[in-house]
Amino acid sequence: MMAWLQKLFGSSIGKKLWMALTGLLLLGFLVVHLAENLLLFSDRDGAAFDGYVHTLTSFAWIPLAELVLAGLFLAHIVQAIRVSLQNRAARSTPYALNPGHGGRTLASKSMLVTGSIVLLFLILHLAQFRFGDAAARERMAALVRGEFEKPLVLAAYLLGLMALAIHLSHGIQSALQTLGLSHPRYTPLLQKLSVLIAVLLALGFASMPVYFFASGASR
Amino acid sequence: MSAPTHAKGLRITLRVWRQSGPSASGAFETHALESVSPDMSFLEMLDVLNESLVGTGKSPISFDHDCREGICGACSLVIDGHAHGPDAETTTCQLHMRHYRDGATITVEPFRANAFPVVRDLVVDRSAFDRIIAAGGFISVNTGSAPEANSLPVGKPLADEAMDNAACIGCGACVAACPNASAMLFVAAKISHLKLLPQGAPERESRALAMVEAMDKEGFGNCTNHYECGAACPKGIPVSSIARMNREFLRASLKSSPPRGAAPEGA
Ligand code: FES
Repeated sequence: MMAWLQKLFGSSIGKKLWMALTGLLLLGFLVVHLAENLLLFSDRDGAAFDGYVHTLTSFAWIPLAELVLAGLFLAHIVQAIRVSLQNRAARSTPYALNPGHGGRTLASKSMLVTGSIVLLFLILHLAQFRFGDAAARERMAALVRGEFEKPLVLAAYLLGLMALAIHLSHGIQSALQTLGLSHPRYTPLLQKLSVLIAVLLALGFASMPVYFFASGASR
Repeated sequence: MSAPTHAKGLRITLRVWRQSGPSASGAFETHALESVSPDMSFLEMLDVLNESLVGTGKSPISFDHDCREGICGACSLVIDGHAHGPDAETTTCQLHMRHYRDGATITVEPFRANAFPVVRDLVVDRSAFDRIIAAGGFISVNTGSAPEANSLPVGKPLADEAMDNAACIGCGACVAACPNASAMLFVAAKISHLKLLPQGAPERESRALAMVEAMDKEGFGNCTNHYECGAACPKGIPVSSIARMNREFLRASLKSSPPRGAAPEGA
């Protein structure tokens, strides 16, 4: 079994599969994460959000879920770096001219860059809300609002989310192709849907820092 | 669209990659060509240049070619950064100088991938493809008289799809164009072509596993779905073939059983 798994995920197609599967699972996390965060908008004093955070963190399995999630991020990132290095090593002499043939896109070319920006953003995000002051984390909604009133935080979030949108606009459709989903009838639609999902997700996340920054500024 | 032609032909400045051997370090060499006929093919233009080089005692530029009619896959070259030049679905041998304007500067490089080492100048060693084919790009049949054609009906849509993939001439433009120097479009075309036809279907699983393994051994990069390969392919092989190869490989991996006679794992 182990030898078989090693052979499968060690192959060139297996490496793509690995990126696709971990990427799609992380996308699933983002969707859930957005849904729960939108609770911030459900009332003025943040009671609904605080109640939710309290219930969630009181579950005994949450540390395990956090570990799995961290492992997922690590699995995606480490593999991305390994594959990028291998791909770079596959052509040691670069072309003098390289205008492209019309296949690659800004998003497909910049996966490593956008991924790195998302990682930096993630570190900031965790430092703010996961590993920050324990007392402040008791009242999460207030903490979130307070953080989002800082202009630098707003700028960092917008940059991070823009990178996320670009990353996902290639990532989602790329994962579908890797999983073998390709057909002249539905592939063009899936490609547009990938971009749409990426943009909607980023806009959804951006709505929170933007709203709380704006409402903080107008107070 | 008629390109403005010079009365005595085109004046072309050619920047060509010269490299005396596999381990030598290469460099660009510039040649000024006067009166290039717009009716010449790109390779004929190189022939004319080579004749004048030989005439002046210099060594001619080495480049690959064979059929010169776009069907063998021997010609190569990256012209101004485009594998097989700027024309879509056209091999270098079918590219004509009327495509260029008078006074144009053209940069010619070999296909670049570590799995395709430069032999000399513009010639690269593409035998990695031969080894991938030898690993499974065939069907096993007994020789003898040809079977009766109508005993094995193949539907037209299927035949068309197989033919689209069989159009691959194995030139390696996909590798040359891929930012990762990946050979997936080539292997996908072969796996697709053979898998789609009833004669090739029985070996689809062993073929998918063996060809992918052989490809990985050659040091090509990994596909990251840029789709430069499909855009560069002179035969218009679609990147959906790569998705089919992914399915075939996954299917074969899931179905593959441990080698017979081997001790069960964990025993
Ligand atoms: S020389 Fe045969 S395809 Fe160009």
